[in-house]
Amino acid sequence: MSGPNTKPLLVEIGCEEIPARFLTNAQKHFGEKLKASLSQNRLLPDHSEVNTYSTPRRLVAHLPVVLTHQGDLEETVQGPSLKAAYDIEGRPTRAAESFAAKNGQTVADLSRVQTPKGEYVALIRRTAGHAAEDLLGEILSGVIRSLEFPKSMVWPNKNGMRFVRPIRWILVLFGADQESVAASFPIISGLAKEFSGTGIAIGYETRGHRSLGLPDPIAVENFEDYSKKLRENFVEFDPSSRLAKVKNEIQALLDKNELKLVRDWELEEWIVNSTEWPRAILGGFDRRFLALPREILITVMRGHQHYFAVEDHAGNLAPHFITMLNMDGDPKGLIRHGHERVLMARFSDAEFFWQTDQKTPLHDRLPMLERVTYQKDLGTYGDKVRRMKAIAAELCNTLEGQGRITSQEAGYALRAVELSKCDLTTQMVQEFPELQGVVGGLYAAGQGEPQAVADAIYDHYRPAGLEGDLPRSLVGAVVSLADKIDSVVSGFAAGHEPTGSSDPFGLRRAGNGIVRLIVRFRLRLDLRSLVDFAYPLTGQILSRVMRTSISLFLRDRISHYMELVEGLPRTTANAALDVGARSVGLQRLLTVGPQHPPIDVLDLVARARALQEMLGTEDLQAVCVSAKRIWNILARPGGTAGNWTFDRSKLTPGPEEDLYLMFLEVNKRVEELQASSDYRSSLQAIATLRPAVDMFFEKVFVMADDPTVRSNRLLLLDQLDKLFCSIADLSQIGSATSTFVDASTSKVPSEKD
Amino acid sequence: MKSPLTFQDMILDLSRFWASQGCVLALSYDLEVGAGTMCPETFLRVLGPKPWRVAYPQPSRRPADGRYGENPNRLLKHTQMQVVLKPPPETIQDIYLQSLAELGIELGDHDIRFEEDNWEAPTLGAWGIGWQVMLDGLEISQFTYFQQCGGIDLDPISVEITYGLERIAAFLQNVNDVFEVKWNNKLTYSDLRRDEERELSIYDFEEASVEACRQVFDIWEREARRLLDSFPTGVYTWSGHEDPMKDPVLNASIQSLPAIQRRFPLRKVYELCLKCSHLFNVLDARGAISVTERVSLITRIRSLACDVASIYVLRGDQTLQEARA
Repeated sequence: MSGPNTKPLLVEIGCEEIPARFLTNAQKHFGEKLKASLSQNRLLPDHSEVNTYSTPRRLVAHLPVVLTHQGDLEETVQGPSLKAAYDIEGRPTRAAESFAAKNGQTVADLSRVQTPKGEYVALIRRTAGHAAEDLLGEILSGVIRSLEFPKSMVWPNKNGMRFVRPIRWILVLFGADQESVAASFPIISGLAKEFSGTGIAIGYETRGHRSLGLPDPIAVENFEDYSKKLRENFVEFDPSSRLAKVKNEIQALLDKNELKLVRDWELEEWIVNSTEWPRAILGGFDRRFLALPREILITVMRGHQHYFAVEDHAGNLAPHFITMLNMDGDPKGLIRHGHERVLMARFSDAEFFWQTDQKTPLHDRLPMLERVTYQKDLGTYGDKVRRMKAIAAELCNTLEGQGRITSQEAGYALRAVELSKCDLTTQMVQEFPELQGVVGGLYAAGQGEPQAVADAIYDHYRPAGLEGDLPRSLVGAVVSLADKIDSVVSGFAAGHEPTGSSDPFGLRRAGNGIVRLIVRFRLRLDLRSLVDFAYPLTGQILSRVMRTSISLFLRDRISHYMELVEGLPRTTANAALDVGARSVGLQRLLTVGPQHPPIDVLDLVARARALQEMLGTEDLQAVCVSAKRIWNILARPGGTAGNWTFDRSKLTPGPEEDLYLMFLEVNKRVEELQASSDYRSSLQAIATLRPAVDMFFEKVFVMADDPTVRSNRLLLLDQLDKLFCSIADLSQIGSATSTFVDASTSKVPSEKD
Repeated sequence: MKSPLTFQDMILDLSRFWASQGCVLALSYDLEVGAGTMCPETFLRVLGPKPWRVAYPQPSRRPADGRYGENPNRLLKHTQMQVVLKPPPETIQDIYLQSLAELGIELGDHDIRFEEDNWEAPTLGAWGIGWQVMLDGLEISQFTYFQQCGGIDLDPISVEITYGLERIAAFLQNVNDVFEVKWNNKLTYSDLRRDEERELSIYDFEEASVEACRQVFDIWEREARRLLDSFPTGVYTWSGHEDPMKDPVLNASIQSLPAIQRRFPLRKVYELCLKCSHLFNVLDARGAISVTERVSLITRIRSLACDVASIYVLRGDQTLQEARA
């Protein structure tokens, strides 16, 4: 509650229509920045509420409790050191005097502070707090100017204001009673000064709905008054109330007409963010359009017109749609009539495309692909399809060998690949590019292709990355993989490697799709040899440098998947990805070298999962720290044993020999377990080395003066190092402080297969 | 109830409305353009600091949109009502809505929305931020705060409002086929335009010689480039006086430079640039342009447009200066 020393603050930024897709974030940032700035200025008591609202034409913040006066500030200011401040006889020096004078005090006011660097003189500086009224103008202008949007504009000139669209008014009210209007004057005049020349009207007036509200600005006295007057003027400024209204309105229409909604959350959000006064109406269209596929009808209604599609109770699309108005109804039916006209024109177009496209079957469109450019330097879609076919054949070969698919399915996959891009030449896809693949699948089914082929074509753009639906069948997954592998490999060949935040050809998304397909369909594939196979199809020779770039790219995609989908910490992901690095004499894997180990995504994910699970045990944590220590010893100068060979008879009895014996036992066990890919038990076995390793480091000095002893010990460590890298590179975990998963950091809901 | 406006009445009403807002009523431009933005009354006048308000109807050609006059909603050549206000008044959205009311659209009976739509013309080095205006789900106008033109940041900015007249007419007259729109009380849109739509579609889609279009493109571009290269920028004569500031020949040549620059046929260069732009659209409709070539052709046209804009800004807006003097 607002006490005697606090007042409520209401701020409304009145703006021309803010794009719906920016609004939710804009509202959030407005609240956060206001809160931060007021707190920093000592005007906001801890835990005070900051309520924010928005409509396309306004961002609103209501803070019930804001201090009317800043508290006084007491700061200790450090001056010169004690030595510099007083001479030998203890008299203040010039330095001390000028320090005091600079702060408006005298040497008599000096105190002393102890710091890590010694003793210094200091002063207590008191700054009197200001009245909130005198500060709020500057604070609010700073907050408003600091709001950022993905795309913004300037007005009225080049060096003028920058915002998402022109701000036309700002309402400020500080206080809740009649006097609040008067009390807000200093703030208003402060803001007016800050925004002079921008044409922004500043005051205690808001605006109603564009065509339903009062035509003139509406003066308000406090938040209750504001809420009441806005609602009287057809503005529901609280997005959650608008959402509730949208749902209620839709439900009422559905109930009345015995229909069901084709649910669409994104569309709901878009409507909430693009209306001030949402009302639903039901429109209709000619039944004859129901002959068109559901996907096409929904795309036209949703993507182009923002309509909800509706179904009858059997789940068939009904010849109706629901559209949300930003009006208080449509008593004359004029708006409904307008929407129906527009939809009929769009459906007529789609119907025309559907009929004319079918006159040329997909197969007959193959030659046309020779004239459709895929990408600069990568030839036509005809070329792309040939590359995809070769890759798909290679994939099918491997999967057939593993008994994963039948030769009939392989045949379907190859046929689907062949026809997959033909829909790019149809008018339907040219008009609705988001339906590529889908249209091809629908046409294929209508043209007598086997259903498996049609489905695979339909699904072959899936998944869209780390999110979105997967292909429904393994055949579809093969077609999608062939497409995405070619996109990545040929993209690299054409020099489109993603850099920083720039990835104009979407290679990362394709890479994410590859990883997700492999894991979700549990495919045992070696991506490295697939790259070796696919790259030369572009007509270029795979250089060692290029191969490294692609391997690093894939490594990043796998690591990204492990983090975002599996919710694993990055250190765990990297430790698994670098498995076996030592075997090719490296700390980090995949960087260089002719003998890249295979990139078996499933295996790497299994290692990472096992490692994360076992890191919950203290023993493995401790072994990881030792693994790190061992690697540090081996990696530094003098850490190699030269030409020495390991001689077990030279081991000193006690901790050194004990460790070796223990190692032999564990190593043997791990080798057996690894053969069955039982990484969890392998790590469990490795963890049992902890006491022996700890004892060794406690009692034994590795870098002994005697070169024979030293080398032998280094060679012992070298064998341990190899073991510690056999499941995942444990030395990378050793330095990480926190390896426990925080479920909240996982951005994509984890999927279980 | 009042009978809905004819096509020509709409043009008259909008012209009168914007004239009352201080716009000069310009004539439609006499070259092929893809949009009213490309006319010099917009492209050049939004540059520089001088205030400017203009309105004009502009037939706009987009060869790829042609449908032989057989599609009820699509036209190769449609009519835009183009309005530019520099700088825009603060109540510009309200003024625009009043113009709709002027056409007989009762604002209280319809749902008019400003939906995000940012406009960009890569061939002109121009872009802006704004909306498409939706009338009961029908896109009727583009409303853009122009930010950059010819690669130059605008200072001040302009607002550009473009009405799609055929769509609005079909809406007002409640017909589902644009060719049924009444042009006046006797003739329809079809009477005036259908044959032209068909013939232009036949040429642009079937007959246009790719070879000839490419050659003409190259010729006009070369001509424009030749002129641009001849633009005097500051090659001064100097008689050798030890203090350049006192050199009489140098001073004279510096003083005469603006006059020489003023003789530069800038608007002709811009016309050549527009001709190239239209040829590009024809080639595109013929399906003769590959992705690679598209990028390079757009770059060539934009480079002409940007050079024109730079010279325009460098010289300042003479006509207005002279008109005022």
